[in-house]
Amino acid sequence: MKSFLLAALALSLFACQTKEEILHDQYVIEGRIQYENNCANCHQSNGEGLRNLYPAISKSTLSAPELARLIKQGRKSATGYMPANPKLQAIDIAEIITFMRHEWGKNEQTFTFDSTRIVLKGIN
Amino acid sequence: MPHKLIYLVSFALLVCGCSQDKKLPYLGKHETRVVDGKTDTLYHQVPPFKFLNQDSVWVSEKDMAGKIYIADFFFTTCPTICPKMKTQLVRLYERYADNDQIRILSHTIDPEFDRPHVLKQYANRLQVQAPRWNMVTGDKQAIYTLGEKSYMVTAQEDKNEVGGFVHSGAFILVDKQRHIRGIYDGTKEEEVNHLIEDLEILLKTN
Repeated sequence: MKSFLLAALALSLFACQTKEEILHDQYVIEGRIQYENNCANCHQSNGEGLRNLYPAISKSTLSAPELARLIKQGRKSATGYMPANPKLQAIDIAEIITFMRHEWGKNEQTFTFDSTRIVLKGIN
Repeated sequence: MPHKLIYLVSFALLVCGCSQDKKLPYLGKHETRVVDGKTDTLYHQVPPFKFLNQDSVWVSEKDMAGKIYIADFFFTTCPTICPKMKTQLVRLYERYADNDQIRILSHTIDPEFDRPHVLKQYANRLQVQAPRWNMVTGDKQAIYTLGEKSYMVTAQEDKNEVGGFVHSGAFILVDKQRHIRGIYDGTKEEEVNHLIEDLEILLKTN
């Protein structure tokens, strides 16, 4: 019985992840770092924002392409201001969005580098 | 049992020693003058000022008379340290919601953009109000000079900086006589905890 349990434990530890799963995990880990460095200042580490000044990113209803463009270009309107992030590259933004999905969206789908690049085409 | 007594005495000493009142320093240049043969020390004092707040109402040193206040420098479109500072200021604002002796005075360093109506919008979104939290704007040079000379912090325009301005994230603790009693890093929660400790001391003694 004991050895059976041990074997089960070992199996669960070394369970093979698919390439996609490994990639997804990498996106989430990198995305968390990018989020901390570029977003958490305003939107806070827990994604809940600050009152009505910085929106709760954790409750965002924007689609991934909308988010990607918003992160890159920022927004200046009568109702709010978010700075552009020209330094963030497509890969960074892909990671951030994948992290956000994982953290707050209950969505484990990777928003890939390629998708992000297509969305951001023509935007500097 | 004498050794028990020794323990007791040393414990009592320890408690007394710890509860000795911590005194806050007076920051800035001191001047001395002799009045009637006695030496008098003049502490650095924030000079008179006059700015417009988010309600387009003038705010001057007179409004701070008898108040302990926390001053800072920011701008509404700041993408870097201001959000952290504001998170901490909101914490202070909440903590002293019922204390009329305490004020927050936030100076914009981008007065050309941060007109009173912009500050009003910003304050509304933060759900904070004057006079407990004044956000003020005015002559740019007057604000920069006040920041550097009087509050001893950096506040400047710099096109190379993200957002276009360079400024420190300092919170300046000012007592009821407009003497500066402490400067803290407003972007760090632990530093702001120190500010709260010092503020409590001021409340008892000032």
